Amino acid sequence: MANRSLTWARAASIAGRDLRSAPGKFIFVVLSVAVGVAALVGVRGFSESFRSTLTREARSLMAGDLAGRTNQLPSSAERQKVDALKSQGIRSTWVTETISMASVPPDPVPILVSLKGVDPNEYPYYGKAELDPDMPLASALTDNSVVVADEFLIRLKAKVGDTLRLGGHSFRIAARLVQEPDRITAGAGIGPRVLISRRALDSTGLISAGSRANERLLLELPATMQTASQLAAVRKQIEAILPEAQVMDFREGNPALTEGLDRATAILSLICLVAMVLGAIGVAMSMHAHLEQRMDVLAILKAIGAGSGDLLRIFLLQTMGLGLAGAIIGVAAGAGVMLALPAVFGNLLPVHARLDFPWRSSLAGLATGLLTTLLFCLPPLLDVRKVRPILVLRKMVEEAEERGFVAFLRRWGQRKLQIVAAIVILVALTAIAAALSDSAQVGVWFGVCLAAILLVLLLLSAGFLRLLRWLLKLVRLRLPQFLRQGLANLYRPGNQSSAVLAALGTGVMLILAVYLMQSQVLREIQETASPKLPNIFLIDITTDEVPGIMQFFHNQPGIQNQLELMPNVNGRFVSLNGVPLDNLKVEHFPKRMLESAAFSWSDVAPAGDKIRQGKWWTDANAREIAIGEGTAQRIHVGVGSAVEIEVDGKSMPLKVAAIFRADEQHLFGRSNFLLPSGLLKDAPAVWYGGARVDSKQVASIERSLFSAFPTVTVINIADVLDRIEGVVNQITFVVRFLAGFSIFAGLMILASSIASTRFRRTREAVVLKTLGATRGRIIRIFSVEFSVLGLLAGSVGAVFANLLTRILLRKLEAQWHFEWRATLIALIGTAILAAATGWLASYRILGLRPLEVLRDE
Amino acid sequence: MIEVRGVRKWIQNGARRVEILKGIDISIPSGQFVAIVGASGSGKSTLLGLLAGLDTPSEGEIFLDGTPIHNLDEAQLSAVRGKKLGFVFQSYQLIPTLTALENVLLPFELNLPGNGIERARKLLAQVGLAEREDHYPVQLSGGEQQRVALARAFIIEPPIVMADEPTGNLDSVNGEKVLELLLSRNGQAGTTLVLVTHDPQVAALAHRKIVLRDGMVVEDVLAAETVVAGRMQ
Repeated sequence: MANRSLTWARAASIAGRDLRSAPGKFIFVVLSVAVGVAALVGVRGFSESFRSTLTREARSLMAGDLAGRTNQLPSSAERQKVDALKSQGIRSTWVTETISMASVPPDPVPILVSLKGVDPNEYPYYGKAELDPDMPLASALTDNSVVVADEFLIRLKAKVGDTLRLGGHSFRIAARLVQEPDRITAGAGIGPRVLISRRALDSTGLISAGSRANERLLLELPATMQTASQLAAVRKQIEAILPEAQVMDFREGNPALTEGLDRATAILSLICLVAMVLGAIGVAMSMHAHLEQRMDVLAILKAIGAGSGDLLRIFLLQTMGLGLAGAIIGVAAGAGVMLALPAVFGNLLPVHARLDFPWRSSLAGLATGLLTTLLFCLPPLLDVRKVRPILVLRKMVEEAEERGFVAFLRRWGQRKLQIVAAIVILVALTAIAAALSDSAQVGVWFGVCLAAILLVLLLLSAGFLRLLRWLLKLVRLRLPQFLRQGLANLYRPGNQSSAVLAALGTGVMLILAVYLMQSQVLREIQETASPKLPNIFLIDITTDEVPGIMQFFHNQPGIQNQLELMPNVNGRFVSLNGVPLDNLKVEHFPKRMLESAAFSWSDVAPAGDKIRQGKWWTDANAREIAIGEGTAQRIHVGVGSAVEIEVDGKSMPLKVAAIFRADEQHLFGRSNFLLPSGLLKDAPAVWYGGARVDSKQVASIERSLFSAFPTVTVINIADVLDRIEGVVNQITFVVRFLAGFSIFAGLMILASSIASTRFRRTREAVVLKTLGATRGRIIRIFSVEFSVLGLLAGSVGAVFANLLTRILLRKLEAQWHFEWRATLIALIGTAILAAATGWLASYRILGLRPLEVLRDE
Repeated sequence: MIEVRGVRKWIQNGARRVEILKGIDISIPSGQFVAIVGASGSGKSTLLGLLAGLDTPSEGEIFLDGTPIHNLDEAQLSAVRGKKLGFVFQSYQLIPTLTALENVLLPFELNLPGNGIERARKLLAQVGLAEREDHYPVQLSGGEQQRVALARAFIIEPPIVMADEPTGNLDSVNGEKVLELLLSRNGQAGTTLVLVTHDPQVAALAHRKIVLRDGMVVEDVLAAETVVAGRMQ
């Protein structure tokens, strides 16, 4: 017989005709796909946009992507090598920081100022130097004008427009420096800030070979070089060019912000992946229901001579057409929401309205919609081969299921293709997850976890249903009719209860996990930008001044958190692990740090320090030391290592008792080496202080402090901290917003999954009506079915959501607490949602007249 | 007693009105076995559906034992069906999630007080399925499913049974069994039986034959009682 098959064109025309025959039936399928894709596009687009806003904030705190700090003037060879980076599109500028004396005539008394020389045409690459009066930095910093911090004006009773004498030259004070974007990462310096152009600084002759100045190289990478690996590669280049420099990237600029960024990124990625899985569930459920309904058409086509291959072709084209239509509507809706919401909500959303079309997320959404449609249609499409044409003539009588292990193996053996299809689906989802998260590792983790969770959910669902069936068998005829039939509907032969249960359970699990993750992570992020953190720092307090300073802050209005004090004792390391310093392999920055180390003391782990290894001492005279984590790694010591230090001419052998990680937000975060108080108390110490004050009162506090303690320098980071708090609040808002959005989309998808089973129930409802059942009775039967389904799915989902959150939070080093209220709401909410959706989806069925349906038979 | 007066039924298909029944007037006394016959599309199933209150006529009146059912609301129609009618479908229409016994029991539970389990078991035994009461519909053959459907139609002991091609999906042996059960119900309990069929042999067993063509009654004949009795034997 000749080998014949339907052409693709002919298959497409038959598929199209079938679609046109009852377009209403297909709208639901298209909308289900659209909701899934819209959630994905919207969430992904939002998080992309927000992440870039957030990263920009983090960059502005350093004024660049990367910074290299060295206390030597770069050689001309080094400068040339840095300049050569321009060929890669990398912009760079040198910022010089030094201290000098400055005065404001006619008062001849100078004060020590912290001088910062910048190229105003380059600096800052990110953020903005805010001036009062407002003007561009390049206009303020000329060859004969500078800008100064408020503190300078207070101390010298000067004002904008006055003349400042520096290095024998006169400069006009062009403006007050209100905010310096990189104030936190720039050197603290001593004395108030004076910002000057690099050319003007050179003209003063203050900087020459051998001058005590810090040089900070700021780099801006082109937009095409912003991935973590590219950033690391450029960092390596800089470390090679400037071996003496301490190089850091923008992520290290401010831990609170970086931690916030990291966690927000993790949550947003999770939300994106969740949106994807929920979208896929929506697509899968609706496509499955769609194909189930077309089985009679398939039988007719087979009866008139179509082969399985022909049918596959027709229905593949049809499902892809529906998937494509849904995906396009979804992309349009998702992109529309993304483009319109920031414009509608204005300042409420910290994401700027973007005028460009979100191509990347739209393509991701389109591909995901199409791919998941194709993938999830595979198993039912493969079932097409099993459709027997006899269905046209009469309903098939199900063959009794064989029992026993051999029969079980045989049944699975017959499902080979389905198993292969399931594996293909999983691999493809893993690939999508990897593409969405830009990480193969995340993709693989996601794929493995999803497979494991789905398997367990399926097994649990099947177990639950079996248990219910067994219980029901014991009591069924004693139960009221609606309850019996509602429960019996859960395990109707050949039905999809365990699949629906697994899908619903997965959905509940993902939605609840997103909620639990965001609420617990946001709580921690907010703690890192706690309003209790100090926002002014005091430098150069002598031991004699300590009681007076404490008294001052005690009586001062506007203090929100009392003064924290940290002693600072200078000394050096003599040996590490018995190896004298000269024989150590460390060089450059770590070596200098060991040669001139700053020690402090504390008999308990200070606020903001987390002990990572070991234990804090209990004896104030213990010969022990605690070292910051990063420093310990650089100088290669750990808990138990022996170190010897020299302070005030006395050498002390010590054992490393603890390794800690400082949050850099508290005062003690600035000390890398902490000792018991008994060892250092008598050594000459300089004290540092930190306090939280009302940012509006900083200037008046500075004035009073200056008049009482003229030698104490105040560093004001209140403005910067306010900015960080603002960003953290934005993170909180956006994460909550996106989590809410994905939860809402998830609920819609779950609702549509349940609703997609409504066609199956039409006939049952009609028969019940014919037998005399009222609408109320039918609603009760369906409500029992759906609320039990919802309760089971809610229980399974809640258990797994808590497990998943616990694992993910541990990965993020965040704490997990059992949130019983959210868990309970998820449990009951799922039951109510399922019952309400089942009821809503059945509402139309209930209104049907029996004859309308029976006539179609 | 079933009274049908000037019943018309049409459906609106876009701008076009399709008339299915074009004015039917019939009266069926209690205990009569009526066969409604006609070609496909003649309107016989629609007429049966209207008689059973499964839909309402576009025009005209229908009375079941004096109760007007043409203007009842949905809940009232359900109540009438639940008390007065047993319905048998061509494709059985058993609830797939319920066992044979539960399917038979269903109308009793929906419409009558008390416990109908024993009555359901007795009926299942009468239709020869006592051993299969715990089976689900998919585990039964077509003939068995239709016998369960008959037992279900009889459980409320309705004065009227309506059947739409009850033997249409069955082989001749099973078809005969089903017919026997329907006829004995009609004969012994005096139940009115209205049956739609294509099969002239089945129609020939009826007391009365109503022939429909294009939505109108074109023939309404009473069979001679002796002929019916002879064929029964």
